Amino acid sequence: MRFDNTKCECGHQNAIGTVLCEACGKPQHEEPALDEVLEMRYDGVARKSQKANPSIIDRIWNFFSSVKVAVYLIVITLIGSMFGTIYPQESQFINIDASLYYKQSYGTMGHIYYLLGLSHTYESWWFITLLVMIGASLVICSLDRVLPLYRALHKQKVRKHGQFITRQRIVYQGDIQDSPNTWLDGMSKSLKKRGYKIVRDEDALLAEKNRFSRWGPYINHIGLIIFLLAVLARSIPGWHMEYYDAFPQGQPKEIPGTPFYLQNDHFTVEYYGEEDMPEQFVKEGRVIAKLFETKATLYRCVDKCDELAAEPVLEEVMKHDIRVNEPLEYEGLMVYQFDFDLTPRLVAVKPVLENPQTGEVYGQFELKINRTETHYEVGPYTLELTHKFMDFGLDENGKPTTKSQDPNAPAFIFMIKGPGLPNEGEPYMYFPLQKDKVKFQQDVINGEIANKFDLHVQSMNDVTLSESTSYLNVRKDTAMPFIWIGAAISMIGLIMGFYWQHRRIWLRLDGQQLALGAHTNKNWYGLRNEVARALQAVDIEVDAKSIDRGGSKA
Amino acid sequence: MTSLELSQDAYVVAFFLFCISFILFVYAMPGKKMKTHDRARHERRWGRISFTVTAIGFGSQLVYFISRWIGAGHIPVSNMYEFMSFLAMMIIGAFVVMYLIYRSAVLGAFAVPLAVIIMAYASVFPSEVQPLIPQLDSVWLKIHVTLAALGYAFFAVAFVAALLYLLRTVRWDSGSDRRSQRWLEFTMGCIIVVIGFIAVVFSFRAADYEVIVNQKVETVENGQINSKIESVTYTMPPLIAPYNSEESSLEAVPSFIGMKLPLMEAPGWMKGVQAGRKLNTVIWSLLAGLVLYAAIRLILRKPIAKAISPLVQGLDPDLVDEISYRSIAIGFPVFTLGALVFAMIWAQIAWSRFWGWDPKEVWALITWLYYSAYLHLRLSRSWHGAKSSWLAVIGLLIVMFTLVGVNLVISGLHSYSGV
Amino acid sequence: MGKRNKTTQIIILVVILVLGGFAVSSAFKKPEAPKEGSTIPDLPLQQLNGSVVKLGDYKGKALVLNFWGSWCEPCEREMPTLQKGSDEWKAKNVEIVGINYGEDPLVVQNYMKKVNVHFTMLLDQKKKVTEAFGIRPLPTTFFVKPDGKVHAIHIGELTQSQLDKYLQEITGQ
Repeated sequence: MRFDNTKCECGHQNAIGTVLCEACGKPQHEEPALDEVLEMRYDGVARKSQKANPSIIDRIWNFFSSVKVAVYLIVITLIGSMFGTIYPQESQFINIDASLYYKQSYGTMGHIYYLLGLSHTYESWWFITLLVMIGASLVICSLDRVLPLYRALHKQKVRKHGQFITRQRIVYQGDIQDSPNTWLDGMSKSLKKRGYKIVRDEDALLAEKNRFSRWGPYINHIGLIIFLLAVLARSIPGWHMEYYDAFPQGQPKEIPGTPFYLQNDHFTVEYYGEEDMPEQFVKEGRVIAKLFETKATLYRCVDKCDELAAEPVLEEVMKHDIRVNEPLEYEGLMVYQFDFDLTPRLVAVKPVLENPQTGEVYGQFELKINRTETHYEVGPYTLELTHKFMDFGLDENGKPTTKSQDPNAPAFIFMIKGPGLPNEGEPYMYFPLQKDKVKFQQDVINGEIANKFDLHVQSMNDVTLSESTSYLNVRKDTAMPFIWIGAAISMIGLIMGFYWQHRRIWLRLDGQQLALGAHTNKNWYGLRNEVARALQAVDIEVDAKSIDRGGSKA
Repeated sequence: MTSLELSQDAYVVAFFLFCISFILFVYAMPGKKMKTHDRARHERRWGRISFTVTAIGFGSQLVYFISRWIGAGHIPVSNMYEFMSFLAMMIIGAFVVMYLIYRSAVLGAFAVPLAVIIMAYASVFPSEVQPLIPQLDSVWLKIHVTLAALGYAFFAVAFVAALLYLLRTVRWDSGSDRRSQRWLEFTMGCIIVVIGFIAVVFSFRAADYEVIVNQKVETVENGQINSKIESVTYTMPPLIAPYNSEESSLEAVPSFIGMKLPLMEAPGWMKGVQAGRKLNTVIWSLLAGLVLYAAIRLILRKPIAKAISPLVQGLDPDLVDEISYRSIAIGFPVFTLGALVFAMIWAQIAWSRFWGWDPKEVWALITWLYYSAYLHLRLSRSWHGAKSSWLAVIGLLIVMFTLVGVNLVISGLHSYSGV
Repeated sequence: MGKRNKTTQIIILVVILVLGGFAVSSAFKKPEAPKEGSTIPDLPLQQLNGSVVKLGDYKGKALVLNFWGSWCEPCEREMPTLQKGSDEWKAKNVEIVGINYGEDPLVVQNYMKKVNVHFTMLLDQKKKVTEAFGIRPLPTTFFVKPDGKVHAIHIGELTQSQLDKYLQEITGQ
């Protein structure tokens, strides 16, 4: 039976599946008359997956160790990825109802797209399964090849079988003039000059360089595995956090899940002037932004952090000007500029209570628009807040109501109590914004009492405005360093593998008869020129092209 | 002369130098009738001359690039015109590298015209210097875009070599290899269509053609349907009007060589930005390409690929196969670093996430997966010669879609680099 | 070759299977907001008198959580319905609770007077609870069974018959 006989004629015992004898390189199980270029992949050593009588474990192993399977996985992933780019993915939007969005925006095709789950292709089970399978293939393919390759390259026999040499792709055979020793000395020198490491065994010689390049692909694969694992690690609870939020100027806002608060101190947007823009743009009236910047302060909450109503006690941690391309960074927390809204919002006013007849000012108080206090002492008078409307309007019954939760038209109704007023007090309506005062006719609503009291702010110093709202993106990504490490290792592997080539030259002298074979994993053109030039140095003139037997096996 | 004027002049000079070097490279290709010895000498001599002209052209491109950088105050890779001209420069750069390794003049005869086509294509886009928006204001713009372009350029040179391999090896004697013949001719046809597109754009631009059609656009916001009128500027006669065009604006369209325009409206399912206008451009390009192709066929009286075939018979097919593969092997790490790793670093800094499945990102990944499949097939499954050449040819299709198609067809975060 | 190799192979395959399973299962993980069938989170809310209740305190009762804001018209229209439901079902171990979206206590008190309701109202001044429940449009009403599991989520205005149907379902009556 043939598979029993794995012993080479040189005496070496090979494993099942060996193509070329691990020691002398003689082709196994082949008719000696063949002259084709040898299959040199992994130097013909048996790969781990090539076993007789595979078990189930072996079969799974074999599946993932196949490059053919790996290529299929790559191609399927590639095609799957294409589907995800037909329409925008759900993840590109912050607030949509996907079940309606695709139908409304893209019609029936969009709806089918949504129903097929392609609107979240890259989070779907099948896509992630593909990535996992690619990961498995990376691990198993590499393990399956790197060990035998290491063994093959680690203990190379210098003297190779004649057939092994003459059936390489680059071959030279001829007679030499000098004595074998002198010739070999000369050839060694010539090859050494070209950066080869030389090992001699009597009148056989092995010259080798850049063996490390063979490890490039495996280092690349290790990097990719680290990368994929790091991506996976982001789903460990607490490793990955992201959300985006509006930060109105001047109000610290909690960053959920952290002890931090962030305050937008000031937001700036600058635009290019006409002189900076091409004429065409100016004609079209285009506006191009030059700078978005949020001056931000990061606080840490030190007390009353979890109470529902009380204001938390904050301590400043750092200040940073957040710009596009310049995020705030603190202990792994990253804050990015995302969007902005330049609508000013009223934060607080400090009106005075005045007698419009005499001009006597009774006093001043601070009225906050959010979380408003309900009781104020102003001189001899007491103001009880009875009603508050953030966005004042009238409903269909003519009753006052608020139209939204945003302070677009804030309005307050106070009961004023004090000297010369009934015990239960008299109602007074106050619109802090002048436009609302006019629009809703504050004085008409107040009627009689408007003659006795007037609430108004004396100067803009008494008005606190949030000039704008900055939308920021807050992130925490603990796995990032591992992602970069993975990418870096992968790059090192790629560069090692592609910018250097492993080259080997075997020489064998049988008397005056020279047999030379050379092999590389890439760039045969370079190798054949190098061999031709090395031979030239020992006075053997050959045309580089003529020693290359070509063939389809690299 | 301001640096921007200098830049424009240098661009034009480079363009004409490449046109000349293209002709020289074609002349350098060894004819079949020459003797072996003469052939090598002829190729060496004229290859060197053409290469020198190309190198001067490359220098001229560098002058364009640097003076525009100085003039604009930022690196000129921030819009489609600048990026495409940079890509052309990188293709020449990649060709120079491959030429220095392999000394193949024939490669020049195909790589240089590719760069010329891309330079012409760049000129389709508005060439004014635009101010840099804050999103692009980063050192990573320089690193990411330039390296990515260099990676793509090597893939383009690989395409050129692969095409040469196919032109050289596909047999035209009776009956053999029908499928390869057809696909090769189809590839040549596609190239002609691209040339047709550029020709059409420039002809109508020279004629100052412009027509405005109004289109009713419906957008969904917060569940409400808003409709508004958008005007679409056509620079080619509108064979296809936008979906939901306004009648009155259509009637104002002048007829073109006696034809009442537009012929039809774009179908409703094409929802992209200005889909109607783009479809119109595609149809014009196809028409022009077909006319051009028909004209060439009439003159040659045989398939284009068949006509080129004898010109490249002096070529060593193994060598071009090797060049194609080498080009991908050199370009692949550059592409990985520029278009993926540095892109991720920049995305992390600018958009807060290193990867967001934006269409452009996905297509860069697709390109990367494609070429990694190519490399696996070649290195581990021994796909050589014809098989791997076809892969490299299809690869350019994917590259071009990633570079141009994504910006035109799919909108996404990279849209500011679009038209 | 032999045994040691086989063990290594099995270990590697198991590790891949575990990590892969973890990765793929994360594809099925839905956003954390409570949905039908999930248990509601035990979050604290402020009462109008300033004291704090936790949602877990209502365990053992069928619970209706109505998220509303004073500017929202459908909220206002359904308030009397909720009050009626509260009056009729209180004795049957049902608690109907209104959760206001981030407004001042004063506003809520005035609102209750205006629309004439007096069932339990809780304040979510920091909007944390509303966020945890993943509320988008107002009003949204959660119907929770006595064991703390969400039975149904109703978005938009409730009619009397809808409310009764839901209440029958969650009380099992």
